[in-house]
Amino acid sequence: MKFIITFFTVLLLTASALYAENYPSGKAILDAIDRNMTSENRIIVSKMVIHGRRGTRTIRSKTWSEGETEAFTEYLSPAREKGIKMLKSGDMLWTYSPNTDRTIRISGHMLRQSVMGSDLSYEDMMEDPELSRHYKAAVTGKETIDGRPCWIVELTATTPAIAYQSRKLWTDRERNVPLKQELFAKSGKLLKRLELKDVAQIEGRWFPKRMIFKDMLKKGKGTEFIIENIRFDQEIPRHIFSKAALRK
Amino acid sequence: MKNAMLLFSIKGLLRDRSRSLFPILMVSAGAFLCVCLHSSMKGTVTDMVDSAARFDTGHVKIMTRVYNELADQMPNDLALMGVGNLLEKLKRKHPDMIWTPRIKFGGLLDIPDENGLTRTQGPVFGIGVDMSARHSPDTKILNLEKALVRGRMPGHKTEILISDSFARKLDLKIGETATLLGSTMYGATTTYNFKVAGTVRFGMTPLDRSTMIADIDDVRMALDMADSAGEIMGYTNDMLYDDKRMTGIADAFNRDFADPDDEFEPVMQSLGEQGMMRDLLRLVNVMVAIVVSIFVFAMSVVLWNAGLMNGIRRYGEIGVRLAMGESKGGLYRSMIVESVCIGIAGSALGTAAGLAVSYWLQQNGIDFSSMMQKSAILRSSVWRAQVTSVSYYIGFLPGVFASVIGTMFAGIGIYRRQTSQLFRELEV
Amino acid sequence: MIALKLAYRNLVGAGLRTWLNVGVLSFIYVLIIWHQGLFNGMYPQTSRFVIREEIAGGQYWHKNYDPFDPLAVEDSHGIIPSRLRALVRENRAAPILIRQGTIYPQGRIQPVLLKGIDPRQTVLDIPIAKLLTDSDTLPIMAGYLMAQKNGFEVGDVLTIRWRDTNGTYDAADGEIVEIMHTRVPTIDMGQLWIPLDRLQQMALLPDEATLIVAGRDIQEPLNLPEWPFKGQDFLLKDITDMIKAKRVGGFFLYAILLFLALLAVFDTQVLAVFRRRKEIGTLMALGMVRSGVIAVFTIEGALHGILAVGMAALYGIPILLFSAYKGIPIPSSAEGYGLAFPVRLFPVYSAWLVGGTILIIMLAVTIVSYLPSRKITGMKPTEVLR
Repeated sequence: MKFIITFFTVLLLTASALYAENYPSGKAILDAIDRNMTSENRIIVSKMVIHGRRGTRTIRSKTWSEGETEAFTEYLSPAREKGIKMLKSGDMLWTYSPNTDRTIRISGHMLRQSVMGSDLSYEDMMEDPELSRHYKAAVTGKETIDGRPCWIVELTATTPAIAYQSRKLWTDRERNVPLKQELFAKSGKLLKRLELKDVAQIEGRWFPKRMIFKDMLKKGKGTEFIIENIRFDQEIPRHIFSKAALRK
Repeated sequence: MKNAMLLFSIKGLLRDRSRSLFPILMVSAGAFLCVCLHSSMKGTVTDMVDSAARFDTGHVKIMTRVYNELADQMPNDLALMGVGNLLEKLKRKHPDMIWTPRIKFGGLLDIPDENGLTRTQGPVFGIGVDMSARHSPDTKILNLEKALVRGRMPGHKTEILISDSFARKLDLKIGETATLLGSTMYGATTTYNFKVAGTVRFGMTPLDRSTMIADIDDVRMALDMADSAGEIMGYTNDMLYDDKRMTGIADAFNRDFADPDDEFEPVMQSLGEQGMMRDLLRLVNVMVAIVVSIFVFAMSVVLWNAGLMNGIRRYGEIGVRLAMGESKGGLYRSMIVESVCIGIAGSALGTAAGLAVSYWLQQNGIDFSSMMQKSAILRSSVWRAQVTSVSYYIGFLPGVFASVIGTMFAGIGIYRRQTSQLFRELEV
Repeated sequence: MIALKLAYRNLVGAGLRTWLNVGVLSFIYVLIIWHQGLFNGMYPQTSRFVIREEIAGGQYWHKNYDPFDPLAVEDSHGIIPSRLRALVRENRAAPILIRQGTIYPQGRIQPVLLKGIDPRQTVLDIPIAKLLTDSDTLPIMAGYLMAQKNGFEVGDVLTIRWRDTNGTYDAADGEIVEIMHTRVPTIDMGQLWIPLDRLQQMALLPDEATLIVAGRDIQEPLNLPEWPFKGQDFLLKDITDMIKAKRVGGFFLYAILLFLALLAVFDTQVLAVFRRRKEIGTLMALGMVRSGVIAVFTIEGALHGILAVGMAALYGIPILLFSAYKGIPIPSSAEGYGLAFPVRLFPVYSAWLVGGTILIIMLAVTIVSYLPSRKITGMKPTEVLR
């Protein structure tokens, strides 16, 4: 009996080791993802569906973003939130609301608060790194998600000042879209899960039209993002990423 | 016959000032002190649970079941909804109580520079209070006017009060704009411009650190909480806490809303049911009872003495009346009737004066914080009284009973005197 | 001597009324001594907890540290200066590192302060021994109020999330190993205690601290510009202020009560002088000088005070001793929000307190006894003896 177990264990280990050699390099996958997903800039119109304890709310917004550090969001509906703008520039975050005509820097404990009641905190919003620049990657397996064969890629941070020490991606082998992403604390504890769904071809890229973001430590169903419209590499005037633009 | 005697006594009292004025003054002074002491002691008891009641627990407090479990986090997403209806119902059922909604919230208070950009900011703890109308009692309940340090009470929409030390820390001046950055009931980010009408200091460190007080309607606007409130506070009209009654009201209320599956069902808790308040109340009440009874006893001794003195002062008069053939029993009774009259009149007078002073102390209080050198002013450094129903009769205990008993003892002497000796004593 | 004897005989002869006066006075003795004794006990007993569990000989604060400014916490830390490190090695100082963290009771985000302390330190007397563990699970100590509010029990596992000094998220499951029954809310509410070395590792701040608690044997605080020293006086100011306020409140009460008792004695004296005019006349006729007669009456009045001491001793000493032995139970949510209170408060009676109280009351009683006796001066023996 013992022999049999040992035999199979050895067999399995050898098999996976052999298999590993057939995996693409992590770096190649990250590059592929970045090629597919990242762009100079993008303009997104999206809906955020927030499941609260007392029902569900939908918030529409339009976001202009450029690189890792610049992003400008304007909320379109519902009426109460319409016209609220948010600017991320470097490691600063400001919000503007038309009814108060005030530009306020979000700092301190407010950064840990949720954005519009979603599972996303302002801190999370500040966080959208280009994976290949901050992580080294290794492919550790494969799995099928939503009927799509995926590589499992494990990412470990190479720069210290990064929010998530490690990530795990399930990336579509053909389309180079991470269909599932898990974000871990340094200790290895799962903090956030991001699922990308309804992948479609947009402007020659494969892009998800729906995302589910879940804070794994919080109770609840998570927050859904539905992309209504996305455009890449547009002419975005620089001044949009300035505080002055908030008041316009 | 009885009436005639009473009338006669009163006439006598009125005509002879030494028989009326001095004893009445004496008795009224005694009653006055009793009333003042009782209400000021009551003031300290109430004061001990009072600040908690006013700011935190109410005499009863209504929250949703889930809000209650997480109350420390001010979870406004779990707040009560349909508050208007609920308040209507409560006011109809308990018209003798004050019902007032509150919203507690946290956020960031941001002070703009001339360009509307952040000049300074700091985390803020806010209370939304019904201060809109003249009929709203919450301003009084929170003693806002008394807590005012600079500026004035909010009178217009969006005007707020903030902690004085917080205002200093943020370098915020009266009349300046302060923007709240917070989250709505649904979690959405919200900003709202307030205007600082005045600064306040309550004498309670946690509240004096970084508090803002705004009208609940503004807070509802700011936090998207139309017809909602985190808490509904209930207070007795006289602001006196009666544990048994309040707990009864809470129990009855909770029987009406007994759906265990609905986590948003309102639940009511009395002050005694929150924290260790009941133990505290019990302890302080025992202490007060001891002090007040010592005082009433001492007062009784004083008034008894006064009664005795009165009897002795009239030694000669009594001799004459006996000599003139008044019966000893009749004389004794007439003296007692007199002392009852004096007792009642004096007590009434003293109680009235005592109540006046106590009410004044209840309203204004004496702040003796200036007697302490440059220390943080604690609320307990303000000496306040509390008039209760007992205040109305406690003065009569020593005032009537003690002085009558004193007279009774002094009067016993009448029976000891012998007519045969009267003339010798009086040297007529 | 004869005056004293006479006075005593007269006084006791007056019977019930004397005893009532004496009774009232004795109440006041007992009340004042007990009440002030309570305050005497309040400071050392309240501050003892705070000193033992929170501040010891004082604290060196990192220059950015402000306990009332939650925004400053993340930036207030620094390498423990070497002169203090020497003290830490000798266990005469204990560094504490404070970081922000997040816990998820019932699946909701709740901010907490994580406080790191060396489980082997003895500068503060808090039950941290259980934090000393080899287990990989993070051991956590929570205060009583914190545990009560969040429903924590020993053995509960909770997830803590924090960011290290670079801003990288980290999270771990910690196990509640101890619930500290403290009466000091400032080491209880909104915070969790974990081993210092673990927190330093977690935050990537080796050898750093936010504040350093000096041992109780501290002589002269070190002068460190980056680490200003906050002495006991500063840290205990809230308590001293509160007690001061309460003491002053007490004086009003005593004044009113004493006034009453004095009124009673005064009345008695007036009465006595009036009633005993003949006796006064006789004494004077027999050759006693007026001042002598006044002395007799004054001493008689003052004797109330002395008898009251005796009576107060009779029933007061047992009561005072009993309450000093048993203490007065103080409910944990006692007023003052945020101030430490012991479970039981034990009154402390000093010789000064007892002696002073007796002296003051005696003085007052004597004066009050003297005033009505002055009337005697105007009396003529021939008239009163008629």
